[in-house]
Amino acid sequence: MMPSMTSGVKSPIRYLERRAIHALLLLLGASLLSFLFSSLAPGSFFDEMKLNPQISPETVAALRAQYGLDQPLPVRYVRWVKSVFRGEWGYSFAYNQPVRSLLMVRARNTLLLTTLAMALAWLIAVPIGVWIASRRGRWDDQLASASTSLLLSVPELVLALGLLYLVIRTHALPVGGMVSTGFDRLGSWEKVRDLAAHLIVPVTTLVLASLPILIRHVRASMMEVLQAPFIQAARGHGIGRSRLLFCYALPAAANPLISLFGLSVAGLLSGSLLVEVITGWPGLGPLLLEACFSRDIYVVIGVVMASTMFMILGSLLADVMLLVADPRIRTDHA
Amino acid sequence: MKTRKKNSKKRLIAAAIFLLALHLAILLAGFVAPYEPAVQNRDFPYVPPTRIHFIDARGHLHLRPFIYQAVARADSLYEYTEARDQEFPVRFFVSGSKYKIAGWMPSHTHLFGVNAPAQVFLAGTDNYGRDQFSRILYGGQISLAAGLLATTVSLLLGLCLGCISGFYAGWIDESAMRLAELFLVLPWLYVLLAVRAFLPLHISPSQTFLLLVAVIGTIGWARPARLVRGIVLSARSRKYVTASRGFGASDAYILRRHVLPHTYGTLLTQAALLVPQYVIAEVTLSFFGLGLSEPKPSWGNLLANLQQYNVLVSYWWMFAPALALVLVSLGYLTVANAFHQQLQSGSI
Amino acid sequence: MGTEAAATRALQPALMRTRGLGKRYLQRTPFSQQSFAIAALVNVDFEIAPGCLTALVGESGSGKSTLASCLAMMEKPDSGEIWFEGNEISHWSKRKLAPLRPKIQLVFQDSAGALDPRFSAAQIIEEPLEIQRRESRQALRARARELMEEVGLSPDWANRSPLQLSGGQRQRLAIARAIALKPSLLILDESLSGLDLSTQAQILNLLLDLKAARSLTVLLISHDLSLVGQVADFVAVMHQGRIVESGSTRQVLASAQHPQTGKLLASVRVLEAAFQTARAGGRG
Repeated sequence: MMPSMTSGVKSPIRYLERRAIHALLLLLGASLLSFLFSSLAPGSFFDEMKLNPQISPETVAALRAQYGLDQPLPVRYVRWVKSVFRGEWGYSFAYNQPVRSLLMVRARNTLLLTTLAMALAWLIAVPIGVWIASRRGRWDDQLASASTSLLLSVPELVLALGLLYLVIRTHALPVGGMVSTGFDRLGSWEKVRDLAAHLIVPVTTLVLASLPILIRHVRASMMEVLQAPFIQAARGHGIGRSRLLFCYALPAAANPLISLFGLSVAGLLSGSLLVEVITGWPGLGPLLLEACFSRDIYVVIGVVMASTMFMILGSLLADVMLLVADPRIRTDHA
Repeated sequence: MKTRKKNSKKRLIAAAIFLLALHLAILLAGFVAPYEPAVQNRDFPYVPPTRIHFIDARGHLHLRPFIYQAVARADSLYEYTEARDQEFPVRFFVSGSKYKIAGWMPSHTHLFGVNAPAQVFLAGTDNYGRDQFSRILYGGQISLAAGLLATTVSLLLGLCLGCISGFYAGWIDESAMRLAELFLVLPWLYVLLAVRAFLPLHISPSQTFLLLVAVIGTIGWARPARLVRGIVLSARSRKYVTASRGFGASDAYILRRHVLPHTYGTLLTQAALLVPQYVIAEVTLSFFGLGLSEPKPSWGNLLANLQQYNVLVSYWWMFAPALALVLVSLGYLTVANAFHQQLQSGSI
Repeated sequence: MGTEAAATRALQPALMRTRGLGKRYLQRTPFSQQSFAIAALVNVDFEIAPGCLTALVGESGSGKSTLASCLAMMEKPDSGEIWFEGNEISHWSKRKLAPLRPKIQLVFQDSAGALDPRFSAAQIIEEPLEIQRRESRQALRARARELMEEVGLSPDWANRSPLQLSGGQRQRLAIARAIALKPSLLILDESLSGLDLSTQAQILNLLLDLKAARSLTVLLISHDLSLVGQVADFVAVMHQGRIVESGSTRQVLASAQHPQTGKLLASVRVLEAAFQTARAGGRG
């Protein structure tokens, strides 16, 4: 989402307004696309029932009518939109409840996982990237480059499985799910510890998977900035190395990194799906997978919309951060 | 900096040769694999990888490697020892089961093998006693083919749309780039699953394969399209393009002779980056059961065995397809990086 | 030189003529919705006499390049008429203009940008022939070699990339490509800028030779009046989109009316010596 250079909008608020409208249009487009696809799909949730000789075809037909699956596409779409405004967001056949309550819990869990992973990944990547940018060509730069290349070649799937294997063999951590059985009976401090223990494997996988790309981008961005004259001038003034790197160079290199942040939300979501399914973390991932298999249409659409919304929020957050960080954007244009 | 250029060229060639060898081995899976992928040995479930020996029980050194036959332990399930009474030398270019080279030429020579009743399981067996090494090779055919074909789809789509977008500019360009933005920003796995969900679940393997390729390839057109568009935009504003128009050149001529040649380098780099991504996409889908399913092997459904707790914990050799996956990724990424460096330094 | 040409001009119809030509460009002020118009051409009446070398001079921004683009049919004027070979072509469609294109060729200022670096010298010259006619590879190559010799490039360089040639050699190559289709009018838009004095003189000599050998009409656009004054039969001076002075070279140089012409004349350079030496030494 690149800012347009030729508009006459001068205030940041107006700019954000425009982006919000853009976001709504995106959501609308995503919902339309999802519905369009669902109309192409032969088969529905009740197909399994059709195979069961004990359930008569009339019952199946009646069930379909009850859930409105026999209506034409536009009617179904309107009904779904109405359902969204009512706060239900469609209905899950498998769970027999409105999609919203299902989504809320799972989305919260996914959010917990991804924000933690993102924060950690950036916290680790930025110092490493900044440091090796300043050590260009030396042994630690080469070591870092080689390790990131190697790490990049290991797909997330393999990382997740590998970590799980290690953890199980060493009996180091509880595996599977978000909390252990008997969670409710634990004291609050123990609850936090239990949650944290379950978080370690999924978060580590996500962090390891994102690190190589982040480190590379930070390094590339910093190297460009380090060539700039104002850095040489600052060095001439005798400013110490760490201050130079973190207080002078990094803010200048921040711009492309913030844009990367917005884009990386999408990658992290995809990654979290995999990790959630493999480690049994009850987030949006396993929900989507289940819904795919059982043809729980409105759940699938709901999850797609939820993930689209996350991405848009990530993008908007990146825009806000850009506005704050880069004074040029504030004064020149919107 | 000259040494860096030379180093990247050496790395490019080394990685390319490695990849070529890997692809060749997988293409000729029938020859390299000692057994057929569907052959079951119900008496030998979860056999660990066969150890290759050079020194026998009596301490003699053999020049030709040999193996011992695996024998199930009488007392426990799924545990094996080696029968040290007889050595089975590993022979090369043996005659074995019939297969077709690259799908058309019949043959029955295999790269290596041992005499019956021993069997050499280089990567162990699964719960049906099927040789994993052979299954990995055959599975590689599917996974690699999916990756390569999907990459071709993405690149073709990206090339066409990027060309049209960059060449004609205006509203076509605006709308195409907005669409590309949308595609770039979507979480691909969610979209992949959602699209796969909306398509028929139970279809024939070849249909599944084509479907996978189509879906994976179509989702990834945006990045190549953006890159191509940038190149086309800058190339088309060059004065030599204006001069060509002055000679009466058609758009097609200008595209073919002046603009497209600038895109080849970028397209090749993109190809090297996309292939491993798409192979991983197919593996992920098959892992979840939405791609190729049993009995046809794919690295994805081979790895799916690890979803069972006991397999993950006790039978470490079932991780072998992961190694193959990592090697493929490493090879392609090295090629992509080295090629990119060569391009930037202008030697191509 | 002046009187002969003037007499000829009175007798023959102009090769190309414009009447009241106008063209405006719209530009947006950065970061605002307002746009303002730049008048590149204002009511331009201009004639190009056949078989002569006409010079169009003016400072940067005077509209010379815009006029050249309109004459070369690269852009359409907003108002006025363009006459070529008895036809009014300012509103013709692309398809109608297509057969005329080989007859008017443009040589650009930036020779490096105007030649595709991936092509060899021979391929560059062959390109217009390849586009317009279907001849065999050998015929094309033979034609290319002939043209290279004609412009003073050694045919041994047929396989060289334009990047391996000097600025003057590149312009020769560009000229060879431009005359490949045997145009009636050759327009050179600031093609001499950026070349050193002796190379400029050599190229000018080449143009004179080509003009004589092929009965070529040449329009030479430059900001340097004293330079083109050496070879031009007619001169037109442009200032802020208008033609402020025109006539035979002798007239204009001797009795310049408009202050702008005076300004241009004031920057006289010692060109005579270089010019005469080049002429005496033959092709360079």
